[in-house]
Amino acid sequence: MAAPETPPTSNLRYAFGNVLSIFILLLIGVLAFSIRLFSVIKYESVIHEFDPYFNYRVTQYLTKTGVYDFWNWFDDRTWYPLGRVIGGTVYPGLTLTAGSLWKILNSLNIPLSVETVCVFTAPIFSAFASWAAYLLTKEVKGVGAGLTAAALLAMVPSYISRSVAGSYDNEAVAIFALIFTFYLYVKTLNTGSLFYATINAMAYFYMVCSWGGYTFIINLIPMHVLLCIVTGRYSSRLYIAYAPLVVLGTLLASLVPVVGFNAVMTSEHFASFLVFIVIHVVALVYYIKGILTPQMFKVAVTIVVSVGLIICVAVLAVLIALVASSPTKGWSGRSLSLLDPTYASKYIPIIASVSEHQPPTWPSYFMDINVLAFLVPAGIIACFSPLSDASSFAVLYIVTSVYFSGVMVRLMLVLAPAACIISGIALSEAFDVLTRSIKYQFHDKTENPQLSAGDTSNNSKTDEVKMEKSEDSLKERSSRKNKKKAKDTEKASVISRIEQRLLVLPFEVSLIAIFLLVLLGAFYVVHSVWAAAEAYSAPSIVLTSHSHDGLHVFDDFREAYGWLRHNTEVDDKVASWWDYGYQTTAMANRTVIVDNNTWNNTHIATVGTAMSSPEKAAWEIFNSLDVKYVLVVFGGLVGYPSDDINKFLWMVRIGGGVFPHIKEPDYLRDGQYRIDSQATPTMLNCLMYKLSYHRFVETDGKGYDRVRHTEIGKKYFKLTHFEEVFTTHHWMVRIYKLKPPRNRIRGKTKKSKTKVSSKRSGAKKNPWH
Amino acid sequence: MAISLTPCAAVFLLLLRLLTSHALSSSDSVVSDLSALQSQSSTGVIHLTDPLLHRILALPTPRPFHFLIFFDAKQLHSKPELSLPTLKNEFSLVSSTFQSNKPNQKSLFFFEIEFGESQASFAQFGIKSLPHIRLVPPSAADLKADTIQMEASDFSRLAESMAEFIESRTKLSVGPINRPGVVSKKQIFFAVAVVLIWIPFFLKKLIAGNTFLHDKNIWMAGAIFVYFFSVSGAMFNIIRKMPMFMMDRQDPGKLVFFYQGSGMQLGAEGFSVGFLYTIVGLLLAFVTHAMVRLRNRTVQRVLMIFVLFTSFWAVKKVVFLDNWKTGYGIHGYWPSSWR
Repeated sequence: MAAPETPPTSNLRYAFGNVLSIFILLLIGVLAFSIRLFSVIKYESVIHEFDPYFNYRVTQYLTKTGVYDFWNWFDDRTWYPLGRVIGGTVYPGLTLTAGSLWKILNSLNIPLSVETVCVFTAPIFSAFASWAAYLLTKEVKGVGAGLTAAALLAMVPSYISRSVAGSYDNEAVAIFALIFTFYLYVKTLNTGSLFYATINAMAYFYMVCSWGGYTFIINLIPMHVLLCIVTGRYSSRLYIAYAPLVVLGTLLASLVPVVGFNAVMTSEHFASFLVFIVIHVVALVYYIKGILTPQMFKVAVTIVVSVGLIICVAVLAVLIALVASSPTKGWSGRSLSLLDPTYASKYIPIIASVSEHQPPTWPSYFMDINVLAFLVPAGIIACFSPLSDASSFAVLYIVTSVYFSGVMVRLMLVLAPAACIISGIALSEAFDVLTRSIKYQFHDKTENPQLSAGDTSNNSKTDEVKMEKSEDSLKERSSRKNKKKAKDTEKASVISRIEQRLLVLPFEVSLIAIFLLVLLGAFYVVHSVWAAAEAYSAPSIVLTSHSHDGLHVFDDFREAYGWLRHNTEVDDKVASWWDYGYQTTAMANRTVIVDNNTWNNTHIATVGTAMSSPEKAAWEIFNSLDVKYVLVVFGGLVGYPSDDINKFLWMVRIGGGVFPHIKEPDYLRDGQYRIDSQATPTMLNCLMYKLSYHRFVETDGKGYDRVRHTEIGKKYFKLTHFEEVFTTHHWMVRIYKLKPPRNRIRGKTKKSKTKVSSKRSGAKKNPWH
Repeated sequence: MAISLTPCAAVFLLLLRLLTSHALSSSDSVVSDLSALQSQSSTGVIHLTDPLLHRILALPTPRPFHFLIFFDAKQLHSKPELSLPTLKNEFSLVSSTFQSNKPNQKSLFFFEIEFGESQASFAQFGIKSLPHIRLVPPSAADLKADTIQMEASDFSRLAESMAEFIESRTKLSVGPINRPGVVSKKQIFFAVAVVLIWIPFFLKKLIAGNTFLHDKNIWMAGAIFVYFFSVSGAMFNIIRKMPMFMMDRQDPGKLVFFYQGSGMQLGAEGFSVGFLYTIVGLLLAFVTHAMVRLRNRTVQRVLMIFVLFTSFWAVKKVVFLDNWKTGYGIHGYWPSSWR
C-alpha cells in the first residue's frame, strides 16, 4: 500500500515477492503431492480398500466406452440377477475427472494406465486444494496468511487420511471443489464481478458432481448471506455473489442424475431458496432507500416491511407445505442427526452404528488437525479485527464445520480446510507482529546509520505497518474501486499521524516466541509425516506385519482374485459377503451377488441366510442364484481379525431380519459367540463355519484359531455340496465351488439312504450327516 | 296346591325381580356416580377410598367396566428411585387421553388410591411395594388372584407403554397419547403474538443498524465458545451420556477423571483438554492484538513471559495426555546417519 512513495524499488519488491510466492506455492504443491506417496513407497502403486475399486472399475468403463455409454451404463456384473444402473446412481465427478486426465495424458503421448492415473488423482488434487486454500485465504487476509494456510493444508492429517495415493474416492476431488467454490464465492463478494459469480456456479456444479457433501455449501453460503444481511452488511456485491449462484447452481445441480429433482425437492436445499427471497426483499428495501428522501423512506419502510412480511409468511407457508409433501418428508436422517445430535442414536440405529458417524473425542482432534487445534481461536479473533465480509465467511465456515465435526467424526474432513485457513491467518498474524518487533528493534539496537539500499524500503515498510495497524477499523478488503478511494484518504491521515507509535513487542521475548512458534510448526510437520506414513497409508488389500524375523507381506486377496480371473469362466457368479463385492468385480472381473453399494437389503439377507444355513440349504440358495463359486475370507491362520467369522453375526442378524428361520440365539452359547467345542450345533454346521475351517486342522494338527485364540470345535468333517478349489498362500481367502447336483445323487443316494432316513427323524437340521 | 303355591311363586318372582332390578339399578347408579366423579376430576382419575371400593366390589360380576388403580403413597413421593410423581403424572396422562379420545366411554375407569387413608384396600389387594398399578377386569372376584398387575416393563416407557398394556388386556384402545407441550397453547399464542409485534420494531432497529447482532464481540465470543464446545468433545458426552468423572474400580474411594483409550472420554477430561486447546489460541490472539498496544515495556515483558510459559505448558500437557491416552508413538523420520 505504500507503493506510491517509492515506485521503482517497490515495484521490484512486489515483483520479487510475487515470484517468491509462486515458487513457494509450487513447493507446497510438491509437498502436498509427495507426502501422500508413502503408500506407494511402503506398499506399491495400488488402489486401496473397497469403494475405490468400484470407482476404478467405473473409470475403466468410462475410458473404454466413452461418456455416453457410461451415462447409460447398466451394470449386469453386480447384484446378480438384478443388476445396477451405474450412470444414474453415482456422483460422476471423480470418474469424469480421472477419465479426462487419462485422456489428456494419452493424447500427449504419455501412455499411463488407467490405474496409475486413478492412484495419483488424489495426491494431484491435494496440491490443487492447497492452492485453492491459498487463494481463499488470500482473499480473506492477504498473501502471507494464504501461503501459511496452503502449507498447513498440504499436510493436514485429516485430509491425508482420505487422499493418499491409491485412495481413489469422491472426497479426493471434493475437498478441492469445496475450497475452490468457497474461494470463488469470496472473490465474487470482494469484487462484485459477475464473471466470478458465473465461475462460482460452475465450481458448485463440479462439487455437486463429486460428492454428496455439496449440501454443506448450499447451506453455508445462504447462512453467510443471511448473517451479512442481519448484521447490516448488505451490498450489491453480496447480491451478485449469491443470486446467480442459487439460480445457475440449482439448474446445474439438477443436471446431475443422482441429484436430479432433489435439488428443488428436499429440505436440504430450501434454506437457499428462502434466503434467495430474503435477499430480494432486502435489495428492494435498499433500492427504495436510495431513491427516496429520508422522510419518505420512513413511510415507505413501514409499507415495505409489512408487505415483505406478508410475502415471507406466504412463502414460508408454501415451503412448509412443500416439506410436508416432499417425498423424503423433510430432511434425510443423516442431515437431521447433524442438527439434533441425539437424533440418530434415538431413531436410526443403522446410521448410529457406522463408525464414521460416531461423535469424536478430544484425541481425534489432536490426531486429525494436531496443533491447528491450538491456533484456531487466535485465527477467529484475527478474523474479527477487522471484520470484513470475507473474514466473516471464514469464521462462519470454521464455526459450522467444527460443530458438525463434533457430531460426526467423518466431517472432520470438512473441518480440516477451515482449520488450516484460520490457523494460517493466526500464524501469519503472529509472525507478522513478532518479526516486525524484531526487525524494527534490531535496527534500533544496532543504531546503524549507514544502511544499504534496503533502508528506504524498510522505512516505507514501517510506515506501512503503522498505517495498517492504526486503521484497524477500516474494512480491509472492499471492492477494488472502493479500495482506491480509501487509499487516498488514508494516506492523508497517515501523514498527519506520522509520529504515531510503532506497535511492537520487546525484542528478546519476541525471539523466544518465534522460536516456540517454529517449534510448534515443526511438531506439526513431524506429526503429519508420521500420520501419513504410519496411520493412513495402509491399502488394506496388501497387508504387512512386522515380526522378529522381519517383514511379512500378505498378498492373499490379489492372489485369490487373480485365480478367479484366470481359472473361471467369464460369466461365472461368485458369492461372498458384500464387503468383497467391489473388489471381486474390479479385480477378478466376475459377477457378484451383492456388493458394497448396499442398496438392496433383501439380497444381502439372502446371502447372509445362505452363509448361516447348513450346507444343503445353502447350496440350494446359491444354486438358485446361479452361483458357481463361494469366496470366504479367513484370518484364523495368520491372525487377520476382520475376517468373515468375525463378521458372521452380522450375516446372521441381517439374514434373520428378512428370513425369520435364522435366529441369532441359535448361534450363541449363553449369549456368547464362540467357535470352540462349546459352540452350538447350528454354528458348527453352518456353511460359514465349514467353509472357513475345512481342512484347517491339517495346518497344525490341532486347529488353533489365532484370531479367536482357541481351538476350533469341529475339526474333521467333509463337505458334501461344495468342493474346495483354491486356498491362498496364508489361507486368507478360500474359494469353493458348488458341486453339480447330478454327480452327488448318483454317488450317494444308495449309500446314505438309510442314514438319511434314520437321521431325519432325529435332527432335522442337516440330512447329510 | 296350585293356589297356595301361586302367591309363594309370585313373592319369589317379585323378590327375584326386585333383587335383579336392585342389582341393575345399583350397577347403573355406581357407573353414573363414577362418571360424575370422573367429570369432576380434571384428568379423569378418580380418587378411590375404602367405601367406594367396597361399593364397586359389591357389584355382581361381571361388572360393566374395567378399572385401573394406581397405588400411591404421599410419604414416598420424596424418594427419587421410585419416581412415583412421574408415574402418577403419566397415569393421569393416559386417563385424560382416554377421556378425550373416547368421551362418554364407561367401560374403563382410572383410580388412584392413597396409602395413608385407605390401608384396608391396600391390604385387600395385598400390595407390599410401590410403584404398583393394577388392572381389575370385570370378572375379577378375588382381588389378589384375578387382577392383573402392570409389570415394571409395562410402565418403563411411561404413558405409551401403559396404553399398550391397557390395549392388550382390555381390548380398549387408548389412542395416541396427547402429551401437553412444555408450554400451553395460550402461552404459545401469546409468544407468537409478542414475536409478531416485536418483529417490525426489530426490523426497524436492524435497518438502523443498532442491535446486539451488530456487536462483533458477541459474535466473537459465540464463535470461540462453539469451538471450545466442539473440540472438547462435548457432543460425545451428550450423545453417549458420559459422566463428568467415575469411580475407580480398584479403589472405590478414588475418582477417575481421565480415561485411557481413545474410544471414550469422560466429561471433565474433555472440558479440561478443550480448555487447553482454546487457551493457547486466546493467549496468542492476546499477544498479537492487545499486548502490542501496551506502552509499558516491562509489563509487556512480564505478560509475554507468562503467556509463553502457559502456552508451552498447555501444548506440552496435551501432547503428553494424547500420547498417554492413545498409546501412539509419534516419531520423526531422521536420516539414519544422524543416529
